[in-house]
Amino acid sequence: MTAGAAVLQWLGRTIAIVLLVMAGSTVLVRFAPGYLSDAREMDARYADAAHAELSQEAARSRSLPHMLSAEISGWARGDAGISREYGVPVSALILPRLAVTGGLLLRSILLAWTLALSASLLTTAGRNPSPFWQTPATLLLAIPTAAMATLCLLANSGGPVLVMALLLAARDFKFLHRALRTAWLDPHVLQARAQGLRARQVLRAHVLPAIAPQLAALASLSIMTALSAIVPVEVIFDVPGLGQLAWNAALNRDLPVLLAVTMIMALAVVIGGMTPDRPPEWKSV
Amino acid sequence: MKLRPSAAWLLAVTILAAAIVLARPGASYSHQDRAEPLAAASTLHPAGTDALGRDRLTRVAAALLLSLVGATAAAAVTTLAAAGVGTLAAFAPASIGWPAMLLCDVFLALPWMFLLLMVRSALPLTTSPANSAAITFLVLAALGWPACARAVYRGALSLKRSAWMLHAHAAGLRGRQIVRYVLPNLIPLLLPQFLICVPTFVIAEANLGALGLGIGEPLPSWGGMLLELDNSAMLLQTRWVYFPVALLIAVLLLLEAVAVEA
Repeated sequence: MTAGAAVLQWLGRTIAIVLLVMAGSTVLVRFAPGYLSDAREMDARYADAAHAELSQEAARSRSLPHMLSAEISGWARGDAGISREYGVPVSALILPRLAVTGGLLLRSILLAWTLALSASLLTTAGRNPSPFWQTPATLLLAIPTAAMATLCLLANSGGPVLVMALLLAARDFKFLHRALRTAWLDPHVLQARAQGLRARQVLRAHVLPAIAPQLAALASLSIMTALSAIVPVEVIFDVPGLGQLAWNAALNRDLPVLLAVTMIMALAVVIGGMTPDRPPEWKSV
Repeated sequence: MKLRPSAAWLLAVTILAAAIVLARPGASYSHQDRAEPLAAASTLHPAGTDALGRDRLTRVAAALLLSLVGATAAAAVTTLAAAGVGTLAAFAPASIGWPAMLLCDVFLALPWMFLLLMVRSALPLTTSPANSAAITFLVLAALGWPACARAVYRGALSLKRSAWMLHAHAAGLRGRQIVRYVLPNLIPLLLPQFLICVPTFVIAEANLGALGLGIGEPLPSWGGMLLELDNSAMLLQTRWVYFPVALLIAVLLLLEAVAVEA
C-alpha cells in the first residue's frame, strides 16, 4: 500500500470513528432510562405550567433522528448546540476551558515522561534489577486518582499537575521499564555490552531506537489515561477546565454539554494515535 | 518471589473478616447512633463513627464486599462479552469481523470517565441505592469489554493461523468441532483479562463515587467514603476517616498482585 493510500485509509477510519462516536453517544444517552427526566421537574418552585412546558420540551427531543440532526447541525453551525443548564452555546462554555485543560494535560504528560524515562533508564541497566524498583509505581497505581488528589490537597503539597504526572509516570514507568528491559536483553545488545560498549552508547545506539515505535503507542496511551484522570483532578483541585465542565454537566444533566465534551475527548484520542492495544498495566481508569 | 499465593490468601482473609464484621449481631451499615457522630474508636465502634453516627467498620466491610462482588460480576460479564466478540471477529467472515473490531475502536476512542459520566447522568433521578449500585457496575461491564476483546481477538487470530488449526482443517474437522478445541485454548488469555478487570472496576467505582456519581446513600461505597475526606472539620476530629482509603489501597494492591502474576 502506498503512503497516500495509507493516509487516506487512516483518515477514512478516523472520520468513521468520530461519526460513530457521535451517533453512539447520542443513542446511548437517548435510551438511558432517565433521559426524559429533568432535574427541574423535582423543583417545587416551578409551577404546573412550567412542568407542562418541560414535558413538552422532553417530548420534542424524544426522537432519535431529531437528536442526531440537532447534534450535527450544532457542530455544523460551530456552536455544538445549546446548553440545557445555562442556555448559552456550548462552544462558549468549552472554548475558554480548552486552553486550561490542554495546558494541564501537556505539563502533566511532559513531567510524567521525564520522570518515567529517567526512572526506567536508571533501573533497566544491570544484570538483575531489583523488583523493588517497581514498588513505588505499583503503589501509585493502586491509589484511585480521586484519593490521590484529595490526599495531596489535604497535605497541602502538590497540585493538579503533580497528581496527574505521578499517575501517568507510574503507568509510563511500567511500560517503559518492560520495553527497555526487553531491548536491553536482546542478543545483539548483550553482544555489544560483552564487547565493552559503554551503557550510554548501548542505550543510545541500540536500546532507544529499538523501543522508538513503542514510544508512539505510549504517547497515545498517555493521552487516554490523562483524559480519564482529568475529571477527578480538575474537580478536586477546582481547576476550571473541561473535566470540571463535564462533571458539572453530569450533575445538572446538561447532556448537550456532556456530549460535546465527550466528542472533543474522543477526537483527541483518535488524533492522538488511534487507540492502540493496551498492555495490562494500562487498563486502570 | 511469587507474591500471588500470599496475596490471594490475604485477600481471602480480608473478605472473611469483612463478612464476620457484617454478620455480628446488630451490625448495620445504615443505623445512625445520633448521640455519637464522629466518635473515636471504642469497643462498640472499633473504627469510630462517621458524621451521621454510623459504624465506620461495618460500612467499610459492607463497601468492601459490595465493591468486590460488583466488580467481580462486572468483570465476568466483560470477559464473557470480550470472549464472544473477539472470537467472533477472529473466526467469522471479514464482513462480521471488521465491524466488530470497528465497534471496539469506537468504544476505545471514548475515554471511560466521560462515557461513565454521560451514562450515569442520564439515569432516572429517583434511582434507589441498590439500583444505582447495580447500574454503576453494569455500566462498567458494558464499557469495559473492548480492550479485552482486542486482546482476545489477537489471541484467537493467532490460534486460527496456528499449524494445528491448519492440520485440523486438512483432516476434515468441521467448524463446530474446531470451536470445541479452540475455546479451551483461550482460557489462559481470558483469566488474566478477568483478573485485571476486577481492580480496574473497583478503582472506577471509587473515582465515580468520589465525584458524587456512584452508588447512592445509604449504601456504603469506597467512593462515598472518599467524600468524607472533603470535610476538613471531620479530619480534625478523627484520624479514622483515613481508614477506608488505607484499606482500599491495600485491597487494590492485593488484587493487582493476584492479577499481574496470573
